[in-house]
Amino acid sequence: MSANPSVPLAEILETSDILADRQQRRERHAIALQAIVPEEAILSTVEQLRPYESDGLTAMKATPLLVVLPDTIDQIQAIMRWAKSNEVPVVARGAGTGLSGGALPHEDGIILGLAKFNKILELNEELGFARVQPGVRNLAISDAARPHGLYYAPDPSSQIACTIGGNVAENSGGVHCLKYGLTVHNVLSATVVTIDGDIMTFGCDGHDNEGYDLLALLTGSEGMLAVTVEVKVKLLPVPPVAKLVVAAFDSVEAAGDAVGEVIAAGIIPAGLELMDKPAIIAAEAFAKCGYPTDAAALLLCELDGLAEEVDAQVAGVSEVFSRCSVTSLHVAESEEERLLLWKGRKSAFPAVGRLAPDYYCIDGTIPRKQLSYVLQRMDEMSAEYELPIANVFHAGDGNLHPLIMFDAGKPGELHRTEELGSRILQLCVEVGGTVTGEHGVGVEKINEMCVQFDENTLTQFHSVKAAFDPEGLLNPGKAVPTLQRCAEFGAMHVHHGELPFPELERF
Amino acid sequence: MTSKDDSAALLERVNEACREKSPLRIVGGNSKKFLGNAVEETQTELSIAGHTGIITYEPTELVVTVRAGTPLKELNEALNAAGQMLPFEPPEFGGSTIGGVLACGLSGPRRPFFGSARDYVLGMRVINGQAQDLSFGGEVMKNVAGYDVSRVQVGAWGTLGVLLDMSMKVLPKPAKELTLRQSSQAHASHEFASLLRQPLPLSAAMLVDDSRYLRLSGSDTAVDAAAAKLGGDVVTNDDQLWASIKDHTHEFFTQGIQSHGGESSLWRISVADYVPAIDLDGEWLYDWAGAQRWLKTSESAERIFDAVAQHGGHATRYTANEDPSQPAFQPVKDPMRRLQSRVRDSFDPHRLFNRGRFHPEFDHVDAPDGAVSV
Ligand SMILES: Cc1cc2nc3c(=O)[nH]c(=O)nc-3n(C[C@H](O)[C@H](O)[C@H](O)COP(=O)(O)OP(=O)(O)OC[C@H]3O[C@@H](n4cnc5c(N)ncnc54)[C@H](O)[C@@H]3O)c2cc1C
Repeated sequence: MSANPSVPLAEILETSDILADRQQRRERHAIALQAIVPEEAILSTVEQLRPYESDGLTAMKATPLLVVLPDTIDQIQAIMRWAKSNEVPVVARGAGTGLSGGALPHEDGIILGLAKFNKILELNEELGFARVQPGVRNLAISDAARPHGLYYAPDPSSQIACTIGGNVAENSGGVHCLKYGLTVHNVLSATVVTIDGDIMTFGCDGHDNEGYDLLALLTGSEGMLAVTVEVKVKLLPVPPVAKLVVAAFDSVEAAGDAVGEVIAAGIIPAGLELMDKPAIIAAEAFAKCGYPTDAAALLLCELDGLAEEVDAQVAGVSEVFSRCSVTSLHVAESEEERLLLWKGRKSAFPAVGRLAPDYYCIDGTIPRKQLSYVLQRMDEMSAEYELPIANVFHAGDGNLHPLIMFDAGKPGELHRTEELGSRILQLCVEVGGTVTGEHGVGVEKINEMCVQFDENTLTQFHSVKAAFDPEGLLNPGKAVPTLQRCAEFGAMHVHHGELPFPELERF
Repeated sequence: MTSKDDSAALLERVNEACREKSPLRIVGGNSKKFLGNAVEETQTELSIAGHTGIITYEPTELVVTVRAGTPLKELNEALNAAGQMLPFEPPEFGGSTIGGVLACGLSGPRRPFFGSARDYVLGMRVINGQAQDLSFGGEVMKNVAGYDVSRVQVGAWGTLGVLLDMSMKVLPKPAKELTLRQSSQAHASHEFASLLRQPLPLSAAMLVDDSRYLRLSGSDTAVDAAAAKLGGDVVTNDDQLWASIKDHTHEFFTQGIQSHGGESSLWRISVADYVPAIDLDGEWLYDWAGAQRWLKTSESAERIFDAVAQHGGHATRYTANEDPSQPAFQPVKDPMRRLQSRVRDSFDPHRLFNRGRFHPEFDHVDAPDGAVSV
C-alpha cells in the first residue's frame, strides 16, 4: 500500500495508528481474558489467527483481535459479560463452513470459537432426542443415532463438517428438507447465553413454551441475538425403505415443469433435486456415478417410508415423469447404487470447482412456477457477463444454487461475478422470491436485503436485535443492513413480486 | 367467499390509536373470547373480521396466502376442493378466523406428527405498534432473509402486531385415514414413546377414559399394513371423533365445566409426551401422544402452574375467569420475562395491542435502571 503514490501520507499514518492501537488492545484484552480461560485458549499471533480470517466465503477476509476457545458454559457467560462491559464485538464461530460471511471476524472484536463444545451430552433412543453441545458436527448426531434406528433429518451437503450451532444460526436445510423440514422444524430447544451473560432456554420438552416462541426467532438469526450453548434435536425413525428415481430430460424447462407435476399429483418426495448439463457433466467426471451425460437436465427424486407407501409413490412419480416427456427413467437397483447416485449430487460443488479456478455459489429461492423463466433469464445473464453457470439445486423447494465459474486471478473477474450474483438475487426478489434460502445474509447479501425489504421493515429488524443486544455487540454489521447502507447501495425495494413490467409475458 | 381488503382502514385505526396512545382489543371471529386473560371492556375493539378472502392459492406451489379475517371454515373448504389441507389441523371454535387461529397458535391432533401452526407459516404482513405496515418472510418454502418474525407472531396473541395477511404451506390430503381403538388403562409415562420411535404413518394419538385412539394416514396399502401390525378395533366415523377433540365438542369438553369461578375449569397442559401422570385432581384427556393434556379441575391456578412447572411444562386456562389472581398463562420469570418484555417493546412500544390479555408481565416497560413501570 505504501508504494501507492496516490495514497496521501496522512492517511497512511492514520492507518498505522489504527493498527498500533489494535495491537495494544489485542495485548490488553488477551491479558484480561486470561482471568476467564486458560492462556492456551486465547489465540493472538498472526499465524494463530490466520485460519479464522474467513469462513466458506473466502473472498472476504478480516483479522480478529483475538480468538477465544472456551470449553465451559461458565466461561462463555464470563466472556460475554466481559465483552459487554468493555464494548468488544463478539462473533461466534462453529466450523466456519458458512457461505455468506456470517462468521467473518470483526477487526475490533473477538471470535468466540465453539469447537471445543463437541460432545453429545445425551442420546435418548427411547424418547427420540439428542442433547448436544453446539460444536457437534451435524453428521455426528445421525451417526450416533443410527445404531438405534434413528437419525437427525436436516442434512446440509456440508454435514460432515458443519456444526449444529451453525445450523441453528443459519436455519440450514438439506436435500431432504422438502419432506422433513428445515432446522427450525427439527430442533426442540436451544439453550443460549445472552450478551448480558444470562443463560436461558428457548423452546422446551413439550411442543410449545409459555410466552413468545423465541426459538423460532433464534433459528436463522446468524449469531446476532445470542450464543447457542446447547441444542436438543428431534430424532426420527430411519425410514425402512428409500428409493431413488433418476429422470433425464432434454430441456431444463421440461425438468422444471415435471417438478410441479409431481407436487400436483399429491406426492411429497423426501428430496427432489435438479441438475443442469454443466453440473451433470462435472459431477459425473468427479464421482463416476453413472449419470447420463447427454441429458440436458436430471431430476433426482427420492421417496422414503414404509415399503408399501414407497412402491405406490415410485409408480406415481414414474407415471408423472413419463407424461412430462422424460428421456430416460431409472430406479436405483441397490442401496449401493442409490448412495452412489446421491454422491454425485452431494459432491457437485467441488466437482464444479474443478472446472474453473473459482466458483461462487448463489442461494436464492423462488416460487416453483417461476423456475423455467428464471433459468432462462440466468442463461441470458451468463452470456452477457461471459461467465458460465452450473445449476444444481433443491428444485422441490424452489431453492436455487447457481454456481458461477470464474477466475479470481483475472483482473475484474471477481467483481463481475459478484455483480452477476447480485443481479440473480434481485431477479429472485422480482419474481416473488428471496435473496437467501438457506445460506444466510451474512455480509454477502447485505446490499440485496435493501431490495427485499423496505425501510420500516429493516428498522423493525434492528429493534428486534436491540431487544436482545442493545449495544449491537453480537456479530455487528451482519444480516440486516443499516438504512444508510441501503441509501448508498441505491437499490430500489421491489414490493412483493410486483414486477417493473407486469404486463409482459414471462414464459 | 367474500373478499375484501380492509388493510387501509385497519392501518388508519392503528395510526389513530398510536397518536392517542389508546389501547386496542384485536378481535377476529370472537370465537376465542373465553381464552386468555379478561381485557378491560373500555379498550377500543379493532375487528379484523372485515379483512377477508384468499389472496393467492396455487395448489402446485403448496402455498396459500390469505387475509386474517377469512373464516377458517371457508379456507378449509377451498383447500379441500383441491385435495389439500392445513397440516396443523387447527381447531375451529364456531366462527374462527385464520388470523385468530395463528395469533393464538392453535394446532390440532395432527400436531406431534406433522408440526404446528408456526411450522407452516411462511410469511406475514403485520401492522406493528407504530402503525407501520410490514411484510416478513414470503411465499417460498425456504427463506432466511431477516429474522423469522412471521413465526414469532404465531401464538403471540396479537401482542406483537395486528396480523393482516399470512402465507402458509399446505399439503396434499392423505389418500386414506383410519383410526384404531385399543383398550388402555391409566396413563403410563412412556405410553406412546415406543410407538413414536417406529416408522408408522401415525397422524393422531390420544388417550381418553379407558381407550387409546391411534389415527393412521397415508397410502391405502401403508395404512392397512400398519393397522394390521398395531391391532385394535377400527373406529367408524372417526372424522367426527377427531373433529370433536379438536373443536372441543366432545363430551369431555362439554360436560362438567363451569366458567366464572364455578366448580371446575378446563386447563391445557403442555409437557413432554413421556412425562408421567401429574399429581393434580380432576379428569384428564391425553392428546398429542401425551404432550397436550386437558384437565378438568377445581385446583387453583397457582397449584397447577407449580405442579406442571416441576415437569418442565406449562399450563393455560381454557375457561373464562375474571379473577386476576387466576391468570390464564403460566407467569414467566426473570431473566426470561425481561427479554420477552423487550421483544414486546420492539414491536409495540406503547403497549397498544391486547394489553393484559396474554402475559401481563410483558406489558411492563423496564426502565434501564431495572425499575418496572406500567
Ligand atoms: C460445500 C458446502 C456445502 C453446503 N451445503 C449446504 C446445504 O446443503 N444447506 C445449507 O443450509 N447450508 C449449506 N452450506 C452452508 C453451511 O455449511 C451452513 O450454513 C452451516 O450451518 C454452517 O455451520 P458452521 O458450523 O460451519 O457455522 P459457521 O460458518 O461457523 O457460522 C455460521 C453463522 O453461525 C453463527 N454461529 C455459529 N455457531 C454459533 C453458535 N453456537 N451460536 C450462535 N451463533 C453461531 C456464526 O456467527 C455465523 O454467523 C454448505 C457449505 C459448504 C461449504
